[in-house]
Amino acid sequence: MRLKDVLSPFLAWKHLFSPPVPVRKPLEREAAPRYRGFHQNDMEECIGCGTCEEICQNAAIDMVPVEGIGTRDGDSGLRPRIDYGRCCWCALCVDICTTGSLTMSNEYQWIDTDPDVFRFVPGAEAKPWDERKKGYRKPEHYELYNTERIPMEEVPPEARSKSFIEIVKGYSKAQALREADRCVECGICIATCPAHMGIPEYIKAVREDDMEQALRVLYETNPLPEVCGRICTHKCETVCSMQYKGDPISIRWLKRYIADQVPAERYEEILGADAVEQSNKKVAVIGAGPGGLSAAYYLARLGYRVNVFEERAEPGGMMRYGIPEYRLPYDQLDKDIGYIRSLGVKMTFNTRVGKDITLEQLHKDYDAVFAATGLHQGRSTRVDGADHPMVFQAIDILRDVTEGKKIEVAEKIVVIGGGNVAMDIARTLARLQNQKYGKVQLILTSLESEDIMPADLEEIVESREENVVIEPSWGPGSIKIEDGKIKGLNVIRCLSVFDEDGRFNPKFDQNETNFFEADQVIEAIGQGMDIEYMTKKFEDRLEMTPRNRVKVDIFGQSSLPWLFLGGDITGGTDAITAIADGHRAAKGIDKFLNK
Amino acid sequence: MMKALIERLEQKFRISEVVRQRNDELFMTAAKEEAVSLVTYLKEYEGFTHLVLLTAVDWLEAGRFQLTYLLNNNAVKADAGIRVYLDRERPEMESIHHLWKQAATYQRELKEMFGIGFPGSPRVDEPFILEGWRDIPPYRRDFDTKKYSEKTYFPRPGRKTYDPEEYMKKQLYPEE
Repeated sequence: MRLKDVLSPFLAWKHLFSPPVPVRKPLEREAAPRYRGFHQNDMEECIGCGTCEEICQNAAIDMVPVEGIGTRDGDSGLRPRIDYGRCCWCALCVDICTTGSLTMSNEYQWIDTDPDVFRFVPGAEAKPWDERKKGYRKPEHYELYNTERIPMEEVPPEARSKSFIEIVKGYSKAQALREADRCVECGICIATCPAHMGIPEYIKAVREDDMEQALRVLYETNPLPEVCGRICTHKCETVCSMQYKGDPISIRWLKRYIADQVPAERYEEILGADAVEQSNKKVAVIGAGPGGLSAAYYLARLGYRVNVFEERAEPGGMMRYGIPEYRLPYDQLDKDIGYIRSLGVKMTFNTRVGKDITLEQLHKDYDAVFAATGLHQGRSTRVDGADHPMVFQAIDILRDVTEGKKIEVAEKIVVIGGGNVAMDIARTLARLQNQKYGKVQLILTSLESEDIMPADLEEIVESREENVVIEPSWGPGSIKIEDGKIKGLNVIRCLSVFDEDGRFNPKFDQNETNFFEADQVIEAIGQGMDIEYMTKKFEDRLEMTPRNRVKVDIFGQSSLPWLFLGGDITGGTDAITAIADGHRAAKGIDKFLNK
Repeated sequence: MMKALIERLEQKFRISEVVRQRNDELFMTAAKEEAVSLVTYLKEYEGFTHLVLLTAVDWLEAGRFQLTYLLNNNAVKADAGIRVYLDRERPEMESIHHLWKQAATYQRELKEMFGIGFPGSPRVDEPFILEGWRDIPPYRRDFDTKKYSEKTYFPRPGRKTYDPEEYMKKQLYPEE
């Protein structure tokens, strides 16, 4: 050992009595390219899901509102604020970040005399390292969760094309547990669900294999889980935070899994129906569709005596008379409805309000009325030839199929329309053509181009699998008739459907035409409502909106305080919206009757 | 080279889960009673004279700890990893400080962070980096880091957080 090595530690002592030297910027040295330094957050990419806050083992992150960032579908409007008094730069928040917006720069020097500035919202408070390219990013080769959804097994097209057998097979327990395991429980989906279902809560129950708890969570906001587990439009999945790195969670299939696991006989025991106290007040519900059934369920839960008046012979509305059996088997619908009826909800069938009984009578006999009569009148294209007997309304045929009536099925069919009803009728008739002729000759034509067709993507895909030919971007011109028989449909090119303001205002190119051969034409371009039963008598007292709909408040209450409305007649577009309307109306009626 | 080594080891020891991902690397699981003999044999007869590291994994669900001894043979530039499973209820292992002096430091760390005992290892019960630690060993997976941090380090005044679900309800559908 050299003498210098022994003495050098003592040399530092010469500074012992020198005044301290504050160093403003002690190092001019850049950190390593993947150094875990100060945070960066891309404000546009971040959706405020709070998963960073959840995983932080130091409780260093708060989710806070940030000026200029609003709350909307798929974005809570909150952003993470990090307390550098607690952060240990472990980067778990970066690794878990669902959108990949949160990263770390390689900056490591930040000097200030005010300790409070070290609690900041990265990305919202400008910092010198905001644009820094170097720093820690989540490595590509691993994810803290599975980004791909567990695929759903389906009956293959060959096996289903001639029958109405249910296509989707449903998850097994192992599949459901693995799918549920992908959810980060951020809850962003809840606001987007029209019924605001407790989605993370029931997915958690699936993960914990607690089906009783899962069923209770479902029934808090939705008394038709077998139905919605199959045919829901699942808007929740469009905002799922898992979609940014992979597939959104199969929320709909997990809901179906729960309902499928619990046999009907156990519902009463699990959901505890006997605790309901009966009130003397009576409520009439018009229409046994999703809106009416939902209102009936929650009103019965609140103790009201409910009677549902239904025009048809069986309950379900569009769920039974619109949606085909291969998407929603009748026994599953009956399971949901059976439980609602078991609560003492009365149902009066084959009774059309306005014909068999008047609304005034219901008003006289009941304390409140909830009307959810839906849209059951098919709209016509009114093109030349549309009054021919071989031109049908989709909704009429779908109803006849459910009722087991004999259906006119020609060898060549054209369906006009691009929504889910058009898909339902096309796929129903394709099956019937297959049964009758052994092949499918069916063209579905829509105004919309394929990217903006209102039908669900899976409907378009599955229709094609079942040999339906889809011809988008055509407007119906006229139906060609020779010797009293339909020969086909003349169409003209549709250039755009909506104008700059987003209003329905289709533009056509008259020079580009086409002709689709057919012996039968089906119109599926939408349905209208028939609410004469209320407007006729109460016209002068029922306030209408500028678009000629009955004006209602958030609970569905009209200007006649005893009359509540919901579902498609107040602007809903699907079952889950109607279910939400029914639930809100039940709360509104309860408030109205307890004033 | 590795293939022959495996054959020799299999003749002398009960080894399982033999993994050879690369030609210069070998992993195996040894029976607990034989592990130190195996490590000794590798050091004294097979040229694995350097202890690279000694570490542990907590397999909470399986109820066991895994020790991994990583040895290096500098002459042939090869590594050998020896895994040993310990019952999580009574985690204790023979010491190897007599083979490598520095192993005592690893063992002291493992005692502190996982609670795995190495009887006879020098200073094994003295605190390593956690002075005055009273909780369960912090590398055990049932140690709740977040709870500990919330309890130990009180938040600065003025902190407030919003739950995304509640906040969205307030912003988008407050009346419902």
